[in-house]
Formats: sequence, C-alpha cells, structure tokens
Amino acid sequence: MIKNLWTRYHPNYVRALIYMLQANEYYPFEYMAWYHRTSDFFNIEKRKHLVYTTKAILLTAFAWTSFVWSFVTSAYVAYQTGLPGIIAAIVGFIIAPFIVPYTLFLLIVVLNWLQIPIEAYIIAKAKRRLRAHKAIKIGIAGSFGKTTMREILKTVLSEDKHVASPGGSHNTPLAIARFIESLSGNEEVLVFEFGEYYPGDIKKLCKFVEPDWGVVTGINEAHLERFGTLERATGTIFELVDYLKSKSGSFSKGSFSREVLVYINSEGTVRSRDDKSYIFYGQNGTEVWRVKSASTNIEGTTIHFSHFDKDVETHSRLLGLHNVGPLSAAADIASRLGLTDEQIQKGIEKTKPFDHRMQPRTDGGVIWIDDSYNGNPDGAAAAIEFLKTLKGHRRFYVTPGLVEMGSRKEEIHKEMGRKLAEAGIEKVILIKDSVTPFIEEGLKEADYKGEVIWYDFGPTAFNALPKMTVSGDVILIQNDWPDQYF
Amino acid sequence: MKTVAVIFGGRSAEHDVSIITAHIPIIDSLIASGQYDVWPVYITKDGAWYCDKQMNELSFFQEEGWEAKIARMQKVRLSFDKGLTIEWPGFFDKHIKVDVAFPAMHGTYGEDGSLMGVLRMAGVPFIGCDLAASAVAMDKVLTKQILEAEKIPVVPYVWFTRDGWMEDAEIYRKRIQHELKYPLFVKPVHLGSSIGISKVRDEKELENAIEVALHYDDKVLVENGITDLIELTLPIMGNDELRCAHIERPLNKTGFFDFQDKYLSGAGKKGGEGANNAYSEIPAGIGDEETQKVKELGMKTFKTIGLAGIARIDFLLDSKRHHLYVNEINTLPGSLYHHNWKKAGVSNMDLVLGLVKLAEERFAAMKDTTFAFKSDILTKIGGAKRAS
Repeated sequence: MIKNLWTRYHPNYVRALIYMLQANEYYPFEYMAWYHRTSDFFNIEKRKHLVYTTKAILLTAFAWTSFVWSFVTSAYVAYQTGLPGIIAAIVGFIIAPFIVPYTLFLLIVVLNWLQIPIEAYIIAKAKRRLRAHKAIKIGIAGSFGKTTMREILKTVLSEDKHVASPGGSHNTPLAIARFIESLSGNEEVLVFEFGEYYPGDIKKLCKFVEPDWGVVTGINEAHLERFGTLERATGTIFELVDYLKSKSGSFSKGSFSREVLVYINSEGTVRSRDDKSYIFYGQNGTEVWRVKSASTNIEGTTIHFSHFDKDVETHSRLLGLHNVGPLSAAADIASRLGLTDEQIQKGIEKTKPFDHRMQPRTDGGVIWIDDSYNGNPDGAAAAIEFLKTLKGHRRFYVTPGLVEMGSRKEEIHKEMGRKLAEAGIEKVILIKDSVTPFIEEGLKEADYKGEVIWYDFGPTAFNALPKMTVSGDVILIQNDWPDQYF
Repeated sequence: MKTVAVIFGGRSAEHDVSIITAHIPIIDSLIASGQYDVWPVYITKDGAWYCDKQMNELSFFQEEGWEAKIARMQKVRLSFDKGLTIEWPGFFDKHIKVDVAFPAMHGTYGEDGSLMGVLRMAGVPFIGCDLAASAVAMDKVLTKQILEAEKIPVVPYVWFTRDGWMEDAEIYRKRIQHELKYPLFVKPVHLGSSIGISKVRDEKELENAIEVALHYDDKVLVENGITDLIELTLPIMGNDELRCAHIERPLNKTGFFDFQDKYLSGAGKKGGEGANNAYSEIPAGIGDEETQKVKELGMKTFKTIGLAGIARIDFLLDSKRHHLYVNEINTLPGSLYHHNWKKAGVSNMDLVLGLVKLAEERFAAMKDTTFAFKSDILTKIGGAKRAS
C-alpha cells in the first residue's frame, strides 16, 4: 500500500479509475470493491484499454475537475484551520487522490438513478412493439452456453425461417430494447439471450420479452461471487421456467399453434427432474431426436440421430461433444417449427464455432483453439475433455483460471488441475493470479506428468507460444482474465 | 532469475550472420521463456565489447546509424573473479554477474574456440562445443585428418598454407594433378558460411580460386568434387546422449550452396526462417537406408571430434555409387538451424532452453574433474633470492 502510494499521484491515476468504471460496466459497487482491494494504480490496463466513449470523456472531465476541486477545497480548509499557505497546498495535494474515487462513485450512483426513468421509457416502448410482433420468441437463460445455444438456433432455424437475435453479448434490457427497435416486423422467430447478474434479472427480462419457449442451458458457479450461493443462481435462472409455467398451455402465432415449451439441459443442475412439462436435452439428444452415436475431432462433431424411424447423420464444425446437447435441442425445436429432417441436417452442417468459443485457427501448422470467452467450470471441463480426445498432437492448455467463482474457487480450480492431469495434457501454461496456484495444486494431486509453465501476464504467454510450438501442436486458450480481477 | 549473456558479432566475415543467430532464435526464445534475464553482448568488427538491453531487439541493428549509436555507448569489460562478470566502468560502477554464456559468434574469434577459451578461463557454463572441438571443427584440414584416423570417410584432398604455396606452388599443383580429379573445390580452411569457396573445372580456374581463398585465409584446402552429388546436412544436439534433427538436402540452383543460398534466399519469410529454408528438402528424400547411414555417421563424427551442445555435420553423397563422406562440421549452425529442428518437432524455445540445460550439465560434470593438485615442487626447486 505505502510502496504504491505514488501511483495515486501519477497523471494516469484518473484514467485508471475511469477505465475500471468502464470495465465494470459502470456498476458502482463493483468499481468500489475493485478500488478498495487495489493499491497499485499504475499498471491497470493490462488486457484492454480505456475506450473514450462520450460517457468516459465526461467522467474524465468530471474526475479532473473534482481532483482540482478537492485540492483547492482541502487546501482552503487547511489554510482556514491555521496552516500556512504552502503547507495547506501540500495537504490539499495529498488528500485529493483519496477523494476523487468517491466523487466518481457518487456521480455514477446518481447517473444510474437518473437513467432509470429513461430506460423504463425505452423498454416500455420496445415492449409494446415486441408484443405486437408475430414472431415466436425463444428465451435462453443459463450460467453458461447461452450464446452457443442462440447461435446454433439461429443457424439451424434459418434454413426455413426468418430468424433474428441480438448479436454479441447483448443480453441486458436496454440492449434488447435497442435490438427490438431494429426489427423489420417480418421475422418469424426471435431468439433472446437472457443475462443474469442479480436475482430478479431474468424475471424482469421475461416480463419484457414475454417468451413463448424457453431453453435453460445449464447452471454452475459462473457469477457465484454476485449470487453468493448456487441455489440463488438456480432460482434466478429458473425465473424463466417459472414465467413459462405461469403461462402454460398453448399459444397461437398466425397459423402456428403450440404449447409452451421448456427445454432443460439434463446434464446441468435441474430444479425438479421429474417435471413432465420439461423437454430434456443432452448428449443422448432429446426424446424424439435421439443420439445413436457422436464423435468429435479438430474438424468438428459428427452426430448420428434417430428421429422417429429415420436415421439422420449430421456434421457440425463445432468442436467438442458438449455441443451434442444444444444441437439436439435445436433439431427438436426446428422440427416442432416445421423444418424437415433435410433442412435440419443442412442447418447443423452450417453451424460453426463462434468468436472466442472453441474457435480454431491454424498458424504455421500450429492449431490454436480460442476459448477465451469461456470462463465457467463446465465450459472448461468440456474444453479439457475435447483436448483429451485429440491424439497424436502435443497439447498446450493456457489459462488465467476462472473469475467470480466465489467461495468455491479453490475446489473448482483444483478440479480443473485434476482434469488436466487425467487428460494427459502435455503443457499447462498458467498466468499468475489469485486462482492459478489452485490449478497447480490439482495437477500435483493427480500426479501430473507434463510441464507447468508460469507467466506473469497473458499477453506475455501468448507472445511466447509461437516460440514454444511446432507444426501439429494444439494450443487451447481458456478464458480471459479481465483487468478488474487482477 | 538466471542471467544469460548472449555474445555475438565479432571480428569475423560472418559478423552480420552472427547478429541474426543471436536474435533468431536465441534471444527471442530466452526472453519469451520468461525464465532468464537476457543481456546481449555485442562485439564490433574491430573487437570492442558493448552490452545494452536495447540490443536485445534485432530491429536495433536494422535501423539507420546503429553503428554510430553503439559507438556512443560505454564499452564493457569482463572480470573473471569467481565466474564471469560484465562491468561498465565509471564513477557509478555497474556490473552483472553472468550465470550462463551463450556464444552466438560464427567464424573466427568466436566459433574457432577463442571465445570458448575466454569462457573456460572465467569458469562460466557456456552453450555449445568446447575450445578443442571448436578449434578442430574450424580447421577443415584438421577435421579431415582426425576423421581419417578414425576411419570416417572423407573426400580426397590436398592442403597448403599461404607460405607453402608461395614457396612450393609447383609441388602442390602437381599433387593436385595426381591425387585429385576435376571438378575440384577450393576452400579457405577456417571460414564458414561458404565464404571464399570456389568450384573449379580446370587449372586456370584453380589458380584464381586459390588466389581468392588465400585472400580470406592463410591455409587452403583443395578437394575432389563428387559426381552425382547430393549434399546433405544434419543438425545434432546433445552431450553424451545425442538427438538428430532431420537430414536436410539443400536444393540450390547454383553450383554449390553458397552464402547467398544459406543466409539470403529465405530472407523476408515470416518468422525469420531465414537461412536456406526456401531451398531445402526436409527431411531429405534419400531413403531409409541412406538416412540411417547418415545419422550413424553424423553421431560418430560428433563423438569423435568431441562436440557438445549443438553442431551441424555436412555430408557429400555420391548417389549412384552410394558413397557417403563427411565434409565439414559447423559448431554453431546459422540460427541454430531452428527451421530444421522445428520440422523435427523441437520448438525454438525447446531448442534454446535445451542447449542451456546441456551447457549447465556439462559444466556440472566438469566441476568433478580435478585440474590442480598440491605439490612441493616450488620448495624443492633450486635458486636463491636476488640480492637487494
């Protein structure tokens, strides 16, 4: 703390504060939590950099103003209390950097509060528009695998339907409202990804979007730090199921009449497994899209389905057997929407890895698998399981560990280490932070025979990888470690 | 964190090649590993020593006026007190204790054993071959003489010194006429990277080629050219236990594999593959039997000369008669032949860190050897004190 005191007086201090507000999506309490656990403010922008949006520019201007204001007023107070002018100025200079973070916090709280009625207006307008829309609305909730499910559905259903969904990670009410504004009105299916940060979030989104069908992709420790317990996370995600059950029965959209459907990933946490209203999906497929066999390699995943009395062989470019479940669910949804087996087959063939999610590329004969947006225990386990299936390659697993694992972080990371050892991964490259020592412990516990290589920062490790590898090697980048967690 | 000094440049015709070798792959890999504090030690063409971390970047040597920039730097000196220390003399004396030295100098004063002698004196572990093996490998004639003695096949040759040629040129001309058969190769004995080498078809060309060779060296080798020739080269690493890379076949367009082919033909290729990557067949398609023969002969040569760490053995194969000859030994292959090692499954980092480990192992083994013993010879020797 004392050693890094000077960093509060560096000209980049204000930039560091604004950057961290931006990195925390302007959530004031997360920002304050970061501020209180940080002592060195000099090297904050390790992974990303501040983007000067209008909000960031205004906040920067405010911060500098409050810096000067803090300096002047504290100097004035010191002067008034009898200190000589020069000492008063020094006191003001010393105190100012400790005041600015709190003035920024207060400003964000006020701004967020002011934003509430504006957002409510935008959302209400979008809600009216969406209610009048004839498309079938599918909501996806879960701790992990939402974007994958969304993209698979979009690709498969697009073989016969006009499908739209918000892109990127746009899963908040405001982002969804902006997406609704962009709709043409001719869409037949709308697919929404529901993001959850706190209890009640999914319920709020359900009231807004009013989904007809729902998919629960799975529940695990992702965002556990915010939820506190897995039960609270489960309760929040199952708010989608509660909503759909509350409107159970059938619904009509034009000539299409169907009952409300709830798809649940059978491999994840399920609130009540014997609920007959659920349609379970997993590596065995669904009730009507049964998986007879499945295999995966660096080229993709091949699934042999049995759909009623017909065999349907499909190939997807998605890597890993964990995709079998979502592909089966998509096939099931597609056939209920009237797509033929041939159309579903073609649709699945068009599915391919999405940005930063088990996304392969080859450089100089070295195969890189970018799984940097996958930061949950199930996703990491699936990636390790996939590496395990690759034979005849030297495999490198690079990770800074997973964030927001709350009280379970030690056990989860040790388990990752054990899985890596069992999979016989040749090289494990760990980035130094608060969780990776647990991975090393797990590796040791499972009598790991490969090599553990440590790096201080992710970019340093990425730059070193081309020098460590030869043609035919496989590198899997597991998760990114955002700056706010350093 | 251990400190590694990478020593490069030097008073050699291969000065510039050495700068490339030092950076690709040595410094690049050492820094990327995050395991070493890397200090670049650069020796100018006139023998001045400099050390500055700016020189860890190859781009430093590609910028306009880099030589002038170096001239403004403070020269360093070496201290051998309990190891090797680099010192920047001055009011604020600065020094760095070196844990491992990585010689990356080709040719004279570097690859010929001179540098290894300095490092031996300092008692610091260093990468690659030791003094004696380096000196032998640097002398193509001495190499052939040792290999012949160990019944390792070499191409028939005649050699002479500059003085010898000046005094007895006619005798050597006659020996060449009788003992060798055109086309011939004329080579300066101590130079690497094919500098000063000529292929000659008749006596007139021979005279010119000898003149060229004597311009570069005071000892010249004239040897038979091989018909139906396949040139082969094999990088090997190890101390006692050896590992071979792939056998590489240069597919040069000119008469032989010259400096241009070796260092410039692949230039501009991404990743600094440099060297002869563009004109090589790796692994050489010579069949399993010949491949096995080359590897066995390569390893025998490595042991015979007493090489260590890394070396590259060059071969000449008469493809019709299936005669295989060891041609030359290179104790510091350009850029460590990393392009070949990569194809053999050894990454740049594995190669460079592996060599550091081999150096440390060799140094540890040497420590067990006793070099001094206590004697009372001084007390027994006669002689009186000088009168003051």
